[in-house]
Amino acid sequence: MVKKKSQQETETTVIVDEDEIADTTEENQTFKDLSDKLAKIRKGKGVIGYILRNTTQATIDLQEPEKIVEYAIFSSQALDSSQEISDQFELGDVSSVLIEGKENKALCMNIEGNKISIFMEKDADDADILKKISP
Amino acid sequence: MSNEVYAFALKSTLDEIQNACPDVTSNFIFKDGKLIAADKNTKEETATQTIEAFDAITERADIIGEVENITIQTAQGKVNIATTNDFYLTTVSSKEADEKYVNTLTRILIPIVIKLVEKIQPASTDKETIPIEQPEPEEEAEEATEEIVEETAEETIEEAEESENEELEEETTPPEPYEEPEQIEPEINVEPLLPEPPVTQLIVENLGGLLVPSDTVRVDEEVIKHWNELYGDNKITEVEVEALNGKKTRCKFKQIKKSKDTGKGVIKMPEKIQLTLETTAGELVTVKPVVE
Repeated sequence: MVKKKSQQETETTVIVDEDEIADTTEENQTFKDLSDKLAKIRKGKGVIGYILRNTTQATIDLQEPEKIVEYAIFSSQALDSSQEISDQFELGDVSSVLIEGKENKALCMNIEGNKISIFMEKDADDADILKKISP
Repeated sequence: MSNEVYAFALKSTLDEIQNACPDVTSNFIFKDGKLIAADKNTKEETATQTIEAFDAITERADIIGEVENITIQTAQGKVNIATTNDFYLTTVSSKEADEKYVNTLTRILIPIVIKLVEKIQPASTDKETIPIEQPEPEEEAEEATEEIVEETAEETIEEAEESENEELEEETTPPEPYEEPEQIEPEINVEPLLPEPPVTQLIVENLGGLLVPSDTVRVDEEVIKHWNELYGDNKITEVEVEALNGKKTRCKFKQIKKSKDTGKGVIKMPEKIQLTLETTAGELVTVKPVVE
Protein backbone atom coordinates (compact mmCIF):
# COMPACT_ATOMS: atom_id res chain seq x y z
CA MET A 1 0.00 0.00 0.00
CA VAL A 2 1.41 3.33 -0.99
CA LYS A 3 0.13 6.77 -0.31
CA LYS A 4 -0.03 9.06 -3.30
CA LYS A 5 -0.84 12.68 -3.48
CA SER A 6 -3.16 13.84 -6.17
CA GLN A 7 -2.69 17.49 -7.15
CA GLN A 8 -6.13 18.92 -7.71
CA GLU A 9 -7.85 22.21 -7.04
CA THR A 10 -8.08 21.26 -3.42
CA GLU A 11 -5.38 19.00 -2.14
CA THR A 12 -6.76 15.57 -1.18
CA THR A 13 -5.03 12.45 0.07
CA VAL A 14 -6.01 9.37 -1.90
CA ILE A 15 -5.23 5.83 -0.77
CA VAL A 16 -4.56 3.63 -3.77
CA ASP A 17 -4.27 -0.14 -4.02
CA GLU A 18 -1.49 -0.73 -6.56
CA ASP A 19 -2.60 -4.30 -7.38
CA GLU A 20 -6.08 -3.07 -8.16
CA ILE A 21 -4.69 -0.36 -10.40
CA ALA A 22 -2.51 -2.89 -12.20
CA ASP A 23 -5.50 -5.23 -12.74
CA THR A 24 -7.72 -2.44 -13.99
CA THR A 25 -5.03 -1.13 -16.30
CA GLU A 26 -4.42 -4.61 -17.69
CA GLU A 27 -8.17 -5.19 -18.13
CA ASN A 28 -8.53 -1.84 -19.84
CA GLN A 29 -5.61 -2.59 -22.11
CA THR A 30 -7.12 -5.98 -23.15
CA PHE A 31 -10.44 -4.28 -23.75
CA LYS A 32 -8.77 -1.60 -25.86
CA ASP A 33 -6.78 -4.17 -27.87
CA LEU A 34 -9.92 -6.21 -28.54
CA SER A 35 -11.83 -3.08 -29.41
CA ASP A 36 -9.16 -2.16 -32.00
CA LYS A 37 -9.16 -5.66 -33.47
CA LEU A 38 -12.96 -5.67 -33.68
CA ALA A 39 -13.03 -2.30 -35.40
CA LYS A 40 -10.78 -3.77 -38.11
CA ILE A 41 -12.85 -6.97 -38.36
CA ARG A 42 -16.03 -4.88 -38.63
CA LYS A 43 -14.74 -3.50 -41.95
CA GLY A 44 -14.37 -7.04 -43.32
CA LYS A 45 -16.65 -8.63 -45.88
CA GLY A 46 -19.95 -9.89 -44.52
CA VAL A 47 -19.51 -8.64 -40.95
CA ILE A 48 -22.78 -7.19 -39.64
CA GLY A 49 -21.52 -5.93 -36.32
CA TYR A 50 -20.18 -6.79 -32.89
CA ILE A 51 -20.69 -6.42 -29.18
CA LEU A 52 -17.76 -6.24 -26.77
CA ARG A 53 -18.35 -5.94 -23.05
CA ASN A 54 -16.76 -6.60 -19.71
CA THR A 55 -17.90 -5.81 -16.19
CA THR A 56 -17.28 -2.08 -16.51
CA GLN A 57 -17.56 -1.07 -20.16
CA ALA A 58 -19.07 -2.02 -23.51
CA THR A 59 -18.64 -1.21 -27.18
CA ILE A 60 -21.37 -1.94 -29.68
CA ASP A 61 -21.28 -1.49 -33.43
CA LEU A 62 -24.24 -2.97 -35.28
CA GLN A 63 -25.82 -2.51 -38.68
CA GLU A 64 -29.27 -2.41 -37.04
CA PRO A 65 -28.85 -0.23 -33.92
CA GLU A 66 -32.59 -0.46 -33.22
CA LYS A 67 -32.10 -4.16 -32.48
CA ILE A 68 -29.30 -3.71 -29.95
CA VAL A 69 -31.33 -5.24 -27.13
CA GLU A 70 -32.15 -8.37 -29.15
CA TYR A 71 -28.52 -8.80 -30.16
CA ALA A 72 -27.32 -8.26 -26.59
CA ILE A 73 -29.79 -10.75 -25.10
CA PHE A 74 -28.93 -13.35 -27.73
CA SER A 75 -25.22 -12.82 -27.21
CA SER A 76 -25.49 -13.24 -23.45
CA GLN A 77 -27.77 -16.28 -23.75
CA ALA A 78 -25.47 -17.94 -26.28
CA LEU A 79 -22.44 -17.71 -23.99
CA ASP A 80 -24.30 -18.73 -20.84
CA SER A 81 -26.09 -21.71 -22.42
CA SER A 82 -22.92 -22.87 -24.17
CA GLN A 83 -21.11 -22.92 -20.83
CA GLU A 84 -24.01 -24.93 -19.38
CA ILE A 85 -23.68 -27.45 -22.22
CA SER A 86 -19.93 -27.65 -21.77
CA ASP A 87 -20.39 -28.24 -18.03
CA GLN A 88 -22.75 -31.13 -18.76
CA PHE A 89 -19.96 -32.92 -20.58
CA GLU A 90 -17.19 -31.68 -18.25
CA LEU A 91 -15.34 -29.94 -21.04
CA GLY A 92 -14.23 -26.89 -19.06
CA ASP A 93 -14.36 -23.25 -20.09
CA VAL A 94 -15.84 -22.38 -23.46
CA SER A 95 -13.34 -20.67 -25.74
CA SER A 96 -15.67 -19.98 -28.66
CA VAL A 97 -19.18 -20.66 -29.89
CA LEU A 98 -20.34 -20.49 -33.47
CA ILE A 99 -24.10 -20.34 -33.97
CA GLU A 100 -25.27 -20.63 -37.54
CA GLY A 101 -28.80 -19.50 -38.31
CA LYS A 102 -30.74 -19.70 -41.56
CA GLU A 103 -29.97 -16.02 -42.29
CA ASN A 104 -26.82 -15.07 -40.39
CA LYS A 105 -24.33 -16.48 -37.94
CA ALA A 106 -22.73 -15.37 -34.69
CA LEU A 107 -19.31 -16.05 -33.24
CA CYS A 108 -19.16 -15.60 -29.47
CA MET A 109 -16.07 -15.71 -27.28
CA ASN A 110 -14.88 -14.94 -23.80
CA ILE A 111 -11.37 -13.56 -23.77
CA GLU A 112 -10.01 -12.77 -20.30
CA GLY A 113 -13.41 -11.73 -19.00
CA ASN A 114 -14.27 -9.75 -22.13
CA LYS A 115 -17.37 -11.15 -23.80
CA ILE A 116 -17.37 -10.79 -27.55
CA SER A 117 -20.09 -11.49 -30.10
CA ILE A 118 -19.44 -10.96 -33.79
CA PHE A 119 -22.41 -11.14 -36.14
CA MET A 120 -21.87 -11.93 -39.78
CA GLU A 121 -23.51 -13.09 -42.97
CA LYS A 122 -23.69 -16.81 -43.65
CA ASP A 123 -20.86 -16.85 -46.16
CA ALA A 124 -18.44 -14.79 -44.07
CA ASP A 125 -15.21 -16.52 -43.06
CA ASP A 126 -15.73 -17.21 -39.34
CA ALA A 127 -12.50 -19.22 -39.03
CA ASP A 128 -10.48 -16.27 -40.27
CA ILE A 129 -12.28 -13.89 -37.89
CA LEU A 130 -11.65 -16.25 -34.98
CA LYS A 131 -7.98 -16.33 -35.87
CA LYS A 132 -7.80 -12.54 -36.00
CA ILE A 133 -9.49 -11.98 -32.66
CA SER A 134 -7.80 -14.78 -30.70
CA PRO A 135 -4.89 -13.71 -28.48
CA MET B 1 -44.18 -49.98 -32.15
CA SER B 2 -42.92 -48.08 -35.14
CA ASN B 3 -41.48 -45.39 -32.85
CA GLU B 4 -39.53 -48.03 -30.97
CA VAL B 5 -38.07 -49.24 -34.25
CA TYR B 6 -37.19 -45.65 -35.11
CA ALA B 7 -35.39 -45.10 -31.81
CA PHE B 8 -33.73 -48.52 -31.99
CA ALA B 9 -32.34 -47.86 -35.47
CA LEU B 10 -30.98 -44.46 -34.47
CA LYS B 11 -29.54 -45.71 -31.19
CA SER B 12 -27.74 -48.53 -32.98
CA THR B 13 -26.31 -46.04 -35.46
CA LEU B 14 -25.12 -43.74 -32.67
CA ASP B 15 -23.45 -46.68 -30.92
CA GLU B 16 -21.77 -47.70 -34.15
CA ILE B 17 -20.48 -44.16 -34.70
CA GLN B 18 -18.93 -44.27 -31.27
CA ASN B 19 -17.41 -47.70 -31.93
CA ALA B 20 -15.93 -46.45 -35.19
CA CYS B 21 -14.65 -43.24 -33.65
CA PRO B 22 -13.81 -43.56 -29.93
CA ASP B 23 -12.99 -39.83 -29.81
CA VAL B 24 -16.73 -39.22 -29.96
CA THR B 25 -17.47 -39.29 -26.26
CA SER B 26 -21.22 -38.80 -26.47
CA ASN B 27 -23.88 -38.39 -29.12
CA PHE B 28 -27.65 -38.18 -29.17
CA ILE B 29 -30.57 -37.09 -31.31
CA PHE B 30 -33.51 -34.92 -30.36
CA LYS B 31 -36.49 -33.36 -32.05
CA ASP B 32 -38.95 -30.70 -30.87
CA GLY B 33 -37.19 -30.58 -27.51
CA LYS B 34 -37.56 -34.31 -26.92
CA LEU B 35 -34.79 -36.88 -26.75
CA ILE B 36 -35.21 -39.48 -29.50
CA ALA B 37 -32.14 -41.67 -29.12
CA ALA B 38 -28.84 -41.60 -27.29
CA ASP B 39 -25.74 -43.72 -27.37
CA LYS B 40 -24.82 -46.01 -24.48
CA ASN B 41 -22.50 -43.42 -22.87
CA THR B 42 -24.99 -40.57 -22.71
CA LYS B 43 -27.11 -40.17 -19.60
CA GLU B 44 -30.68 -39.11 -20.20
CA GLU B 45 -30.35 -36.25 -17.70
CA THR B 46 -27.25 -34.88 -19.45
CA ALA B 47 -29.03 -34.96 -22.79
CA THR B 48 -32.15 -33.31 -21.37
CA GLN B 49 -30.12 -30.48 -19.79
CA THR B 50 -28.31 -29.95 -23.08
CA ILE B 51 -31.59 -29.81 -25.00
CA GLU B 52 -32.90 -27.21 -22.53
CA ALA B 53 -29.79 -25.07 -22.94
CA PHE B 54 -30.03 -25.40 -26.73
CA ASP B 55 -33.69 -24.38 -26.65
CA ALA B 56 -32.77 -21.32 -24.57
CA ILE B 57 -30.43 -20.21 -27.37
CA THR B 58 -32.89 -20.91 -30.19
CA GLU B 59 -35.63 -18.97 -28.39
CA ARG B 60 -33.51 -15.83 -28.60
CA ALA B 61 -32.06 -16.47 -32.05
CA ASP B 62 -34.61 -14.58 -34.18
CA ILE B 63 -31.93 -12.10 -35.24
CA ILE B 64 -29.92 -14.79 -37.04
CA GLY B 65 -32.85 -16.94 -38.18
CA GLU B 66 -33.69 -20.52 -37.30
CA VAL B 67 -30.64 -22.18 -35.74
CA GLU B 68 -29.07 -24.81 -37.99
CA ASN B 69 -25.79 -25.49 -36.30
CA ILE B 70 -23.99 -24.76 -33.04
CA THR B 71 -20.34 -25.52 -32.42
CA ILE B 72 -18.99 -25.05 -28.93
CA GLN B 73 -15.22 -25.15 -28.69
CA THR B 74 -13.52 -25.70 -25.34
CA ALA B 75 -9.96 -26.47 -24.27
CA GLN B 76 -10.86 -30.13 -23.74
CA GLY B 77 -13.14 -30.84 -26.65
CA LYS B 78 -16.01 -29.81 -28.80
CA VAL B 79 -19.81 -30.01 -28.85
CA ASN B 80 -21.64 -29.79 -32.13
CA ILE B 81 -25.41 -29.61 -32.51
CA ALA B 82 -26.47 -29.83 -36.14
CA THR B 83 -29.84 -30.09 -37.77
CA THR B 84 -30.44 -33.03 -40.06
CA ASN B 85 -33.83 -33.94 -41.58
CA ASP B 86 -35.72 -31.95 -38.88
CA PHE B 87 -33.76 -33.75 -36.15
CA TYR B 88 -30.92 -32.29 -34.11
CA LEU B 89 -27.83 -34.41 -33.77
CA THR B 90 -25.50 -33.63 -30.86
CA THR B 91 -21.94 -34.87 -31.08
CA VAL B 92 -19.44 -34.42 -28.28
CA SER B 93 -15.84 -35.14 -29.18
CA SER B 94 -12.48 -34.85 -27.52
CA LYS B 95 -9.88 -32.39 -28.80
CA GLU B 96 -7.97 -35.28 -30.40
CA ALA B 97 -10.92 -36.16 -32.64
CA ASP B 98 -10.49 -35.89 -36.39
CA GLU B 99 -13.15 -33.31 -37.20
CA LYS B 100 -13.51 -34.31 -40.84
CA TYR B 101 -13.85 -38.00 -40.01
CA VAL B 102 -16.45 -37.35 -37.31
CA ASN B 103 -18.43 -35.04 -39.61
CA THR B 104 -18.32 -37.55 -42.45
CA LEU B 105 -19.58 -40.29 -40.15
CA THR B 106 -22.35 -38.33 -38.48
CA ARG B 107 -23.56 -36.18 -41.36
CA ILE B 108 -23.83 -39.07 -43.79
CA LEU B 109 -24.90 -41.99 -41.61
CA ILE B 110 -27.61 -40.31 -39.57
CA PRO B 111 -29.55 -38.75 -42.50
CA ILE B 112 -29.39 -42.09 -44.34
CA VAL B 113 -30.77 -43.99 -41.34
CA ILE B 114 -33.51 -41.39 -40.79
CA LYS B 115 -34.54 -41.58 -44.44
CA LEU B 116 -34.44 -45.37 -44.45
CA VAL B 117 -36.57 -45.66 -41.33
CA GLU B 118 -39.01 -43.09 -42.73
CA LYS B 119 -39.36 -45.18 -45.87
CA ILE B 120 -39.75 -48.44 -44.02
CA GLN B 121 -41.97 -47.01 -41.29
CA PRO B 122 -43.85 -44.06 -42.80
CA ALA B 123 -46.30 -44.06 -39.86
CA SER B 124 -43.48 -43.30 -37.44
CA THR B 125 -43.37 -39.64 -38.40
CA ASP B 126 -46.31 -38.85 -36.12
CA LYS B 127 -45.79 -36.57 -33.15
CA GLU B 128 -45.89 -39.17 -30.43
CA THR B 129 -43.10 -39.20 -27.89
CA ILE B 130 -40.57 -41.76 -28.92
CA PRO B 131 -39.42 -43.91 -26.01
CA ILE B 132 -35.68 -44.01 -25.45
CA GLU B 133 -34.11 -47.40 -25.81
CA GLN B 134 -32.41 -48.64 -22.68
CA PRO B 135 -28.96 -50.10 -23.23
CA GLU B 136 -29.23 -53.87 -23.52
CA PRO B 137 -27.07 -56.72 -24.73
CA GLU B 138 -27.23 -57.47 -28.44
CA GLU B 139 -28.68 -60.95 -27.93
CA GLU B 140 -31.55 -59.56 -25.91
CA ALA B 141 -32.13 -56.93 -28.55
CA GLU B 142 -32.36 -59.59 -31.23
CA GLU B 143 -34.80 -61.60 -29.13
CA ALA B 144 -36.86 -58.49 -28.54
CA THR B 145 -37.00 -57.80 -32.27
CA GLU B 146 -38.19 -61.36 -32.88
CA GLU B 147 -40.83 -60.95 -30.20
CA ILE B 148 -41.99 -57.70 -31.75
CA VAL B 149 -42.27 -59.38 -35.13
CA GLU B 150 -44.22 -62.27 -33.64
CA GLU B 151 -46.50 -59.91 -31.75
CA THR B 152 -47.12 -57.91 -34.87
CA ALA B 153 -47.97 -61.03 -36.82
CA GLU B 154 -50.40 -62.12 -34.12
CA GLU B 155 -51.94 -58.67 -33.97
CA THR B 156 -52.32 -58.59 -37.73
CA ILE B 157 -54.09 -61.97 -37.74
CA GLU B 158 -56.34 -60.87 -34.90
CA GLU B 159 -57.12 -57.61 -36.64
CA ALA B 160 -57.85 -59.43 -39.89
CA GLU B 161 -60.21 -61.81 -38.10
CA GLU B 162 -61.89 -58.93 -36.31
CA SER B 163 -62.35 -56.98 -39.51
CA GLU B 164 -63.83 -60.09 -41.19
CA ASN B 165 -66.32 -60.45 -38.34
CA GLU B 166 -67.12 -56.76 -38.55
CA GLU B 167 -67.71 -57.02 -42.27
CA LEU B 168 -70.17 -59.84 -41.70
CA GLU B 169 -71.98 -57.76 -39.09
CA GLU B 170 -71.94 -54.71 -41.27
CA GLU B 171 -73.78 -56.49 -44.05
CA THR B 172 -76.88 -56.30 -41.89
CA THR B 173 -76.32 -52.69 -40.83
CA PRO B 174 -76.21 -49.39 -42.79
CA PRO B 175 -72.87 -49.01 -44.62
CA GLU B 176 -71.59 -45.97 -42.65
CA PRO B 177 -68.35 -47.50 -41.33
CA TYR B 178 -67.16 -47.98 -44.91
CA GLU B 179 -65.23 -44.76 -44.56
CA GLU B 180 -62.36 -46.95 -43.35
CA PRO B 181 -60.65 -47.44 -46.72
CA GLU B 182 -60.05 -43.65 -46.84
CA GLN B 183 -58.12 -43.84 -43.58
CA ILE B 184 -56.05 -46.74 -44.83
CA GLU B 185 -55.25 -44.96 -48.08
CA PRO B 186 -52.27 -42.90 -46.91
CA GLU B 187 -50.44 -46.04 -45.78
CA ILE B 188 -50.52 -47.48 -49.29
CA ASN B 189 -47.30 -46.43 -50.90
CA VAL B 190 -48.10 -45.91 -54.57
CA GLU B 191 -44.58 -44.88 -55.51
CA PRO B 192 -42.12 -47.74 -55.78
CA LEU B 193 -39.29 -47.58 -53.23
CA LEU B 194 -36.26 -46.21 -54.98
CA PRO B 195 -32.79 -46.64 -53.56
CA GLU B 196 -31.12 -43.57 -52.09
CA PRO B 197 -29.19 -41.72 -54.85
CA PRO B 198 -25.57 -42.82 -54.57
CA VAL B 199 -23.15 -40.01 -53.84
CA THR B 200 -19.98 -40.18 -55.90
CA GLN B 201 -16.90 -38.12 -55.16
CA LEU B 202 -15.15 -36.83 -58.26
CA ILE B 203 -12.30 -34.46 -59.08
CA VAL B 204 -13.15 -31.36 -61.08
CA GLU B 205 -11.53 -30.90 -64.47
CA ASN B 206 -12.02 -27.96 -66.78
CA LEU B 207 -14.37 -28.33 -69.73
CA GLY B 208 -14.01 -25.73 -72.43
CA GLY B 209 -14.52 -25.17 -76.11
CA LEU B 210 -16.77 -23.26 -78.48
CA LEU B 211 -19.58 -25.76 -78.71
CA VAL B 212 -19.57 -26.81 -75.07
CA PRO B 213 -22.90 -26.07 -73.33
CA SER B 214 -22.33 -24.12 -70.12
CA ASP B 215 -25.04 -25.97 -68.20
CA THR B 216 -23.82 -29.52 -68.72
CA VAL B 217 -21.16 -31.50 -66.89
CA ARG B 218 -19.51 -34.62 -68.20
CA VAL B 219 -19.46 -37.68 -65.95
CA ASP B 220 -17.64 -41.00 -66.18
CA GLU B 221 -19.44 -43.69 -68.20
CA GLU B 222 -19.07 -46.21 -65.35
CA VAL B 223 -20.83 -43.89 -62.93
CA ILE B 224 -23.73 -43.32 -65.33
CA LYS B 225 -23.98 -47.08 -65.95
CA HIS B 226 -24.24 -47.67 -62.21
CA TRP B 227 -27.07 -45.12 -61.93
CA ASN B 228 -28.95 -46.71 -64.82
CA GLU B 229 -28.60 -50.15 -63.21
CA LEU B 230 -29.95 -48.77 -59.94
CA TYR B 231 -32.90 -46.88 -61.32
CA GLY B 232 -33.73 -48.83 -64.47
CA ASP B 233 -36.67 -47.14 -66.19
CA ASN B 234 -36.56 -44.02 -64.05
CA LYS B 235 -35.34 -41.12 -66.07
CA ILE B 236 -32.17 -39.36 -64.92
CA THR B 237 -31.66 -36.11 -66.79
CA GLU B 238 -29.91 -34.05 -64.17
CA VAL B 239 -27.34 -34.41 -61.44
CA GLU B 240 -26.85 -32.55 -58.19
CA VAL B 241 -23.27 -31.42 -57.72
CA GLU B 242 -22.06 -30.27 -54.32
CA ALA B 243 -18.71 -28.64 -53.62
CA LEU B 244 -16.79 -29.09 -50.38
CA ASN B 245 -17.89 -25.62 -49.27
CA GLY B 246 -21.50 -26.84 -49.28
CA LYS B 247 -22.55 -24.97 -52.44
CA LYS B 248 -24.88 -27.04 -54.61
CA THR B 249 -26.25 -26.86 -58.10
CA ARG B 250 -28.34 -29.00 -60.42
CA CYS B 251 -27.29 -29.35 -63.99
CA LYS B 252 -27.56 -31.59 -67.02
CA PHE B 253 -24.97 -34.25 -67.62
CA LYS B 254 -23.40 -36.24 -70.41
CA GLN B 255 -20.91 -39.03 -70.63
CA ILE B 256 -17.21 -38.15 -70.84
CA LYS B 257 -16.23 -38.31 -74.51
CA LYS B 258 -12.53 -39.09 -74.48
CA SER B 259 -11.73 -42.65 -73.54
CA LYS B 260 -8.46 -41.55 -71.91
CA ASP B 261 -10.49 -39.62 -69.32
CA THR B 262 -12.80 -42.45 -68.37
CA GLY B 263 -12.35 -44.38 -65.16
CA LYS B 264 -10.23 -41.63 -63.61
CA GLY B 265 -12.86 -40.41 -61.17
CA VAL B 266 -13.15 -37.00 -62.76
CA ILE B 267 -16.04 -34.71 -63.62
CA LYS B 268 -15.55 -32.30 -66.49
CA MET B 269 -17.13 -28.99 -65.63
CA PRO B 270 -17.64 -25.75 -67.58
CA GLU B 271 -16.31 -22.58 -65.96
CA LYS B 272 -19.83 -21.22 -65.32
CA ILE B 273 -20.73 -24.15 -63.07
CA GLN B 274 -17.35 -23.97 -61.35
CA LEU B 275 -18.08 -20.32 -60.54
CA THR B 276 -21.53 -21.20 -59.17
CA LEU B 277 -20.00 -23.84 -56.92
CA GLU B 278 -17.01 -21.66 -56.08
CA THR B 279 -14.74 -24.54 -56.97
CA THR B 280 -11.86 -25.01 -59.37
CA ALA B 281 -10.11 -27.76 -61.27
CA GLY B 282 -8.43 -30.27 -58.98
CA GLU B 283 -10.94 -29.87 -56.16
CA LEU B 284 -13.32 -32.56 -55.00
CA VAL B 285 -17.08 -32.44 -55.51
CA THR B 286 -19.85 -34.93 -54.82
CA VAL B 287 -22.32 -35.91 -57.51
CA LYS B 288 -25.64 -37.69 -57.22
CA PRO B 289 -28.33 -38.34 -59.80
CA VAL B 290 -31.66 -36.53 -59.66
CA VAL B 291 -34.21 -39.30 -60.15
CA GLU B 292 -37.58 -38.31 -61.58
